[in-house]
Amino acid sequence: MLPDSPFLPLPARIQEARDLTPDVKLFRVEIEDPRARENFRHRPGQFAFLSAFGMGESPFTFASYPSPDGVLEFAIRRVGTVSSALHELEPGEAVGIRGPFGNSFPLEEYRGKNIIIIGGGIGLAPLRPVIQAVLSHREEYGELLVIYGARTPADLVFAHEFSSWGEAPRTRVELTVDRGNGDWQGRVALVPTVIKELKPSPENTITITCGPPIMIRFVLAELKALDFAPMQIVTTLESKMKCGLGKCARCNIGEKYVCQDGPVFSFSEISRFLEQG
Amino acid sequence: MKPFLSRDNLLLWLKRLLQEYTVIAPVQAWDTVLFQPVKEVEEILLNYDVSALSPKDVFFPTSETLFTFERQGGRWEARPLPEIKKQVLFGLHPCDAHGIALMDVPFLSPPADLHYQRRREATTLVGLACSRARPECFCESVGGGPQDPSHLDVLLIPTPQGYILQVRTARGAALFTGFNVEELEIDNPPPPVTTPVPVAGITEIARDTFNEVFWERLADRCIHCNLCAYVCPCCYCFDIRDYALKGRVERVRSWESCQAAGFTRLAGGYDPRPSKGARLRQRFFHKFLYYPTQFKGQVKCTGCGRCVRACPVNIDIREVASEMQRIGSRVARAA
Repeated sequence: MLPDSPFLPLPARIQEARDLTPDVKLFRVEIEDPRARENFRHRPGQFAFLSAFGMGESPFTFASYPSPDGVLEFAIRRVGTVSSALHELEPGEAVGIRGPFGNSFPLEEYRGKNIIIIGGGIGLAPLRPVIQAVLSHREEYGELLVIYGARTPADLVFAHEFSSWGEAPRTRVELTVDRGNGDWQGRVALVPTVIKELKPSPENTITITCGPPIMIRFVLAELKALDFAPMQIVTTLESKMKCGLGKCARCNIGEKYVCQDGPVFSFSEISRFLEQG
Repeated sequence: MKPFLSRDNLLLWLKRLLQEYTVIAPVQAWDTVLFQPVKEVEEILLNYDVSALSPKDVFFPTSETLFTFERQGGRWEARPLPEIKKQVLFGLHPCDAHGIALMDVPFLSPPADLHYQRRREATTLVGLACSRARPECFCESVGGGPQDPSHLDVLLIPTPQGYILQVRTARGAALFTGFNVEELEIDNPPPPVTTPVPVAGITEIARDTFNEVFWERLADRCIHCNLCAYVCPCCYCFDIRDYALKGRVERVRSWESCQAAGFTRLAGGYDPRPSKGARLRQRFFHKFLYYPTQFKGQVKCTGCGRCVRACPVNIDIREVASEMQRIGSRVARAA
């Protein structure tokens, strides 16, 4: 009999590992046991711990809206011990998964509203399930604007999906890079600059942003200058954590535990935090 | 009339206990006192002030294997967990029982931490009231007391004639099945008096001290040795790591401290809490604000005084509490 421990990961397998950028791979992960796979239901914004056995486990947000086949997607940048170990694994190899954890984007509340997605680098990964949700129920939402930037054109994750996103009704995708290259015909600017240029209206609009802390800071400033209220700006926070259960006492930002109270917060909540993440 | 054990009867009872249970008790270890499994009654210290480490490691070991994974048919299977034998934790002071109760809250809240829970459920707590208070003891200021029987299955109160016995739970009573306990007309000895520390109301004013330069100033001398967390009977931060051994992987949980540099640092280097002052504040805010806010108002401190004695640079929780109160009342006056 297996130990009935909340720390025990479910055996899973990498179905596919595809390069998205030089240091980001999209992993398609399948839980082995069909019943466990059926019971594993995540919502956009939630996260799970992935185990690279022998190297450890780390939390990653789901990069996809739940699909009928139960395959889970994670876009993972090779940056630390566990993410590097995961990058070494081939399709068919065993991993562990534990979750889902955390709250989620309140998509119900976004119905009928315009949605602006503002991503930077790997920060697009947790926002992709929201884009997928809006696109698959397109009539339920207002305008969709995706503003996404990366350091270079090669660092844009999910580049192969931008054109299909942009072709959807009432949907715009605005890309930018910090530094272009010879082939890049698009914009060369920082993400906050694009906001300034596009001047989106705050009326009946929710913005969801995720990216490097420095980008978030300037995105916030630009949105405030356009009269977006803190309540209209939502983000998902990254935090070092070990358990996902509110026990290891590591991911707290003031009184809030990112693993339980978050990772999704609006800036009206964050502005009341004692610490700033 | 009170149930009573003469010293001889206590030793007799402990002897019998040792035949049936693993008994973990305070023993002399070099120049200090530690909780360890004992074989002979004679090893047990019946009169000690404070152990160097609290017995929290009975339930939450300094380092434990959560799982051993073995490779089977291309997947990693967890071995069944080893059985935990019934055991008695004997001789802990009321403050350390309080510490266990404070750890129970996060660890036993659903979903319960199985690894902690199974040790906790296999263990009966037999406490020993304090005959003396050290200068740095302040259990009475944080809701405890030298003879506080809360959180214990059995409490023994030492008197010159022997031990007054308070059996508080069925689990405690089971230890006395078939043992003849006498009764005696005797008063509880006066408990030792501890020096008050101004903890009352600290949760309400803690926020007001958040931005004070006091924290950086105090942390300046911190050498992040983490001793305060390790000697604390209710600090429970932990780390989980994997060790790849021959043919198997061990997933190991170990004690960790919020004072450690890099405690909150993410892969890639970003650290939301990079300064020593912010980390030191986290320690006291967890004890006096975050834990009480999450868990019904109790501060996460037992007043055992271990951190006061252990800190090599004299960062003193009693002075921190006083200073927080002083800043808090200044802010209140200004408002």
